[in-house]
Amino acid sequence: MSHWIVTTLKATTVSHWMIQLTWMWPLCETLHFVGLALLIGVVGLLDLRLLGFVRRVPVAAVHGLIPWGIAGFVINLVTGALFFIGAPDQYLTNVAWWYKIGFLVVAGLNVLYFETTQAGRAMAIGAGEDTPRTLKVIGAVSIASWFMVLYWGRMLPFIGTAF
Amino acid sequence: MTAFLTTLENSGLSTWLRESNSIWAYPTVLTLHTIGLALLVGANAALDLRVLGFGKAIAVSDLRPLFRWMWIGFWVNALSGAVLLAADATTKAAAPMFLIKLGLVAAGVAVVMLLDRQVYGPATTPGVITPLARSLAAASLFIWVVAIAAGRLMAYPGLFFGI
Repeated sequence: MSHWIVTTLKATTVSHWMIQLTWMWPLCETLHFVGLALLIGVVGLLDLRLLGFVRRVPVAAVHGLIPWGIAGFVINLVTGALFFIGAPDQYLTNVAWWYKIGFLVVAGLNVLYFETTQAGRAMAIGAGEDTPRTLKVIGAVSIASWFMVLYWGRMLPFIGTAF
Repeated sequence: MTAFLTTLENSGLSTWLRESNSIWAYPTVLTLHTIGLALLVGANAALDLRVLGFGKAIAVSDLRPLFRWMWIGFWVNALSGAVLLAADATTKAAAPMFLIKLGLVAAGVAVVMLLDRQVYGPATTPGVITPLARSLAAASLFIWVVAIAAGRLMAYPGLFFGI
């Protein structure tokens, strides 16, 4: 199964570009770091508000910047997919990559839970109001899981052998 | 100068950082450098975006606490960066891309300090964003993207027009 994924992806034109065009990898890395900063900057700000900090700002107001956090995520999803297509074997065999994906799933489920069941209640929280415990937990899980995604991503070349 | 860099590179900390296989050596310092980037550039980008007119429901005056996160990120990166530089002082300090990156970081910090004065300074009217503030915010986003690119390119000496 994983052998099939590796051979199929490596046979694609995109995979060849990623490896043979020497500037492609550093370009995608740069964009991956820009996306990371956008995501953590914007989503982290909302998380802090959910935790009860920057209380002067209503939750809905902070949420207004979220499209930029999503933009950061999409940049990283695309560049991350390009890295994977370029060298699938070095990720599939890397335990750090699986941890990274694991924490991505945690972060994703947390967002899903927030947006489907808690967003309405959260948006009603105005300036100066504290947040209920559920939202504090969501904010804490979000910050922790995104930083773990960053950590395991950074560990890819050290715990495994990814470049 | 060369003698100083050699001494720095041969110091106990530098040698440990380069040669230790411990996950607490190079990988951890590099991770701290990425976390600092996320805090500094992420918080700065959130402020820039608001100044540029996104997320208008947030009062600009409420975003001043972001500066605390920017400075935490800045100092984490100044320290982790100094340690990373010491580890490979003779090669890194002489690399043009390192000096370019250092200049860009200095420019990024200078621009956000000017932005601080334009938005929160004593001579400003609360809630009014001047055209100069907008220009500084746009310049800030641009400089950080280029600084991140320069940082990434330090790992690929010679790739960018021989630099």
